[in-house]
Amino acid sequence: MSDMEKIEVDALVVGSGIAGLQSALDMADQGLSVVIVEKRPSIGGKMISLSKVFPTLDCASCITTPRMASVSHHPRITTLTYSTVDAIKRENGVFTAAVTRKPRYIDEKECISCKRCEDVCPVYLPDEYEEGMGAKKAITIPFTNAIPQLPVMDPEHCIRCGACARACPKDCIDFLQQPAPVEIKAKAVILATGYETTPMTAKKQYGMAKLPNVISPMAAERLLAPHGPYGRVLRPSDGMVPGSIAYVQCAGSRDKSIGVPYCSRVCCMYAIKQAILLSGSLPIADITIYYMDIRAFGKGYEQFYNNARAMGINFVKAKVARITEDEKHNPILRIERQEGSSAPEEVKHELVVLSQGLRPGDDVSRYGLGAELNDFGFVKLSDETVSSAVTAGAGVFAAGVSKGPRDIPDSVVDAGSAAMEAISYIRKL
Amino acid sequence: MKVNPELIDEIKKYGAFDISACFNCGNCTAVCPLSKEDASFPRKLIRAGHVGMEEKITSAIEPWHCYYCGECSQTCPREAQPGEYMMALRRYLIAKYDITGLSKIFYKTGWLQTWLTAGLFAAVLWLYNGYTGDFGALAGKIEMAFPVYVTIAIAGYLLNMYRHAIVKPLGGIKASLKPAHIIETFLHGFTQKNFNGCEETDLVRWGSHLLVMSGYTLTLVISNFHMLEPLDRQYSAFSPVSLLVWYAGFAIIAGGGVMTLRRLFKSAESSKFTHPSDWLFVVMLFLIGLSTVTTLGLNVLHGPADPLLAKVYRVNIAIETVWILLVVPFTKWIHIFFRPLAVYFQHVRKEAEAGTAFSL
Repeated sequence: MSDMEKIEVDALVVGSGIAGLQSALDMADQGLSVVIVEKRPSIGGKMISLSKVFPTLDCASCITTPRMASVSHHPRITTLTYSTVDAIKRENGVFTAAVTRKPRYIDEKECISCKRCEDVCPVYLPDEYEEGMGAKKAITIPFTNAIPQLPVMDPEHCIRCGACARACPKDCIDFLQQPAPVEIKAKAVILATGYETTPMTAKKQYGMAKLPNVISPMAAERLLAPHGPYGRVLRPSDGMVPGSIAYVQCAGSRDKSIGVPYCSRVCCMYAIKQAILLSGSLPIADITIYYMDIRAFGKGYEQFYNNARAMGINFVKAKVARITEDEKHNPILRIERQEGSSAPEEVKHELVVLSQGLRPGDDVSRYGLGAELNDFGFVKLSDETVSSAVTAGAGVFAAGVSKGPRDIPDSVVDAGSAAMEAISYIRKL
Repeated sequence: MKVNPELIDEIKKYGAFDISACFNCGNCTAVCPLSKEDASFPRKLIRAGHVGMEEKITSAIEPWHCYYCGECSQTCPREAQPGEYMMALRRYLIAKYDITGLSKIFYKTGWLQTWLTAGLFAAVLWLYNGYTGDFGALAGKIEMAFPVYVTIAIAGYLLNMYRHAIVKPLGGIKASLKPAHIIETFLHGFTQKNFNGCEETDLVRWGSHLLVMSGYTLTLVISNFHMLEPLDRQYSAFSPVSLLVWYAGFAIIAGGGVMTLRRLFKSAESSKFTHPSDWLFVVMLFLIGLSTVTTLGLNVLHGPADPLLAKVYRVNIAIETVWILLVVPFTKWIHIFFRPLAVYFQHVRKEAEAGTAFSL
């Protein structure tokens, strides 16, 4: 195709979570030209949907949004959102990436983000950004602080009524838009593909996502976020304010029977953080964390954990073996209480959060870059003792959770290190 | 309490090869539908094994409450096979309670018991074939001797189990005389109803167990009272004795056959790991059923004077002889008694705690 969009830059960053944003900014500030490819309609990754961060309880979007804005306004950074990387080839030291821009069904250059299309659309859908708890339209800007502020149409559910097309003042609704290929040439690649949480169905005994009041930690983040789906903490089945909330630790980690033998590192801390936030928004609720070991692994984390204990959050050493529910959808946990008489026991709560683990966000081996994967599908470093970003593929670097579970401060720090490695690699070319 | 640092390595010799992977999370105990407040397992027993609390293990009755549904092994985060550990504990306890020490040797040396059984079978069959007198009368005497031998063998086990599980930990001879408890003990013995306490009821396994159990008990009655005399009498197909034999034989063949197939194809969690003694047990059971049914069948069809019947009957008695001599008193068989007794001992312990137990 002769009119194919072509971009030539110094570095390609795959993924625009906090690690991707940080490494792109670090490289661009050093004078390199950078392109970021993001598969979702907005940059910002997982962090932009979090409420607060541990252990400082800073507002997550207050840290992420400025970086998102810097990236989108940076003269040397190009962002391709709602685009997938299909292949990356390396020839004579130059990477050529085949990228597909998915159709938003609007003219991105003409759109002025007025949201009139969204206002008039008659179709309501569960909002995946709110973990299915809120509603969105079939054509919608993904969330309030999304960047870019461009609506995306869901062609599966659109009823082709044409209301949006009639309402659009710039006439930029395009029902016939096709996926558009983009060719990117770059000298170095940073993989910042992040993570997905282990599925709610990972452990058969945990209700297989069929229990309405057993929710994911991401859903709990949305419940706690100031601009969340309900504006307060309510449980999904009946909108009741939960009086007793439980966290099931290691619900997707350290469990060979579900294929995730490693510790996902962050779950203890995010559960403690959420428990602290919950006791702020629901002061009289009982909050229990069922854990195997509490791994408070960073600076100030043990203090954070001790604070939570002092605040009255119950920590019970027990692995939850089974979750069922009663007729009112109150989840029932079967545990062995190891302290005291040590006996199997069933405990009822009103809301349960499964502390899901982290697994690789993408299988980067499909690009054929020479970057190897470890046993669990994360990017393998060529020598961890020498560098925290260099992979076995020449010119390919890894940042953030793509290398294995880590928290936000660690992701930011080693995104910087990946940027430095990429810069020095490019300068030596 | 004395600590035996080699305990876990000793238990591992009876199976449970992966148990060192356990990180003591308690998933197994919590997921187990049979684990109760007063009998909580497997985690506590694994812990006791790891830290070498030998008396805790030798006095444990919990292994006999476990019916190995395998859910703990399937959901174990460390794939430490707690279900197989419980199985290994049962073997370990059988070896511990065996006064002769032969069970221990048989368990640890794999196929030795099977080879001895095969050898003894050949020898006994050779003797029986060489016997020129009235074999029917001899078979009667042999069968009448079985109960004496078996009672002595079993009594040793039961006394030993009682000593370890009740006398030592409770500090004296205690018993429960409540009829309800005694009835429940027998009920468990015959129906093994706890099988169905497992979360996903394995009806095939329970059914095959029940078939084998009932068939085998009946076989015991038939042989120990020498009810079947195929060389001396002509049986009709539907005489009372024939009906008993048909049921016993076919129940064992069907049940034992299913058990064998499940072990062959490892279709359930409980049949994934097979010790040679398990093979010996199910195959011998199957052969007992088969040879008994064949004996009666030949008698019904061709009468007591049939030359083939004479041979088959000798094989039948030879199988029963080695079964009684070498299989029953050692390794797996004794679990038939230990399971209901564990239910009884549980009551004794509870009553002793409450101070209502009969004591000497």
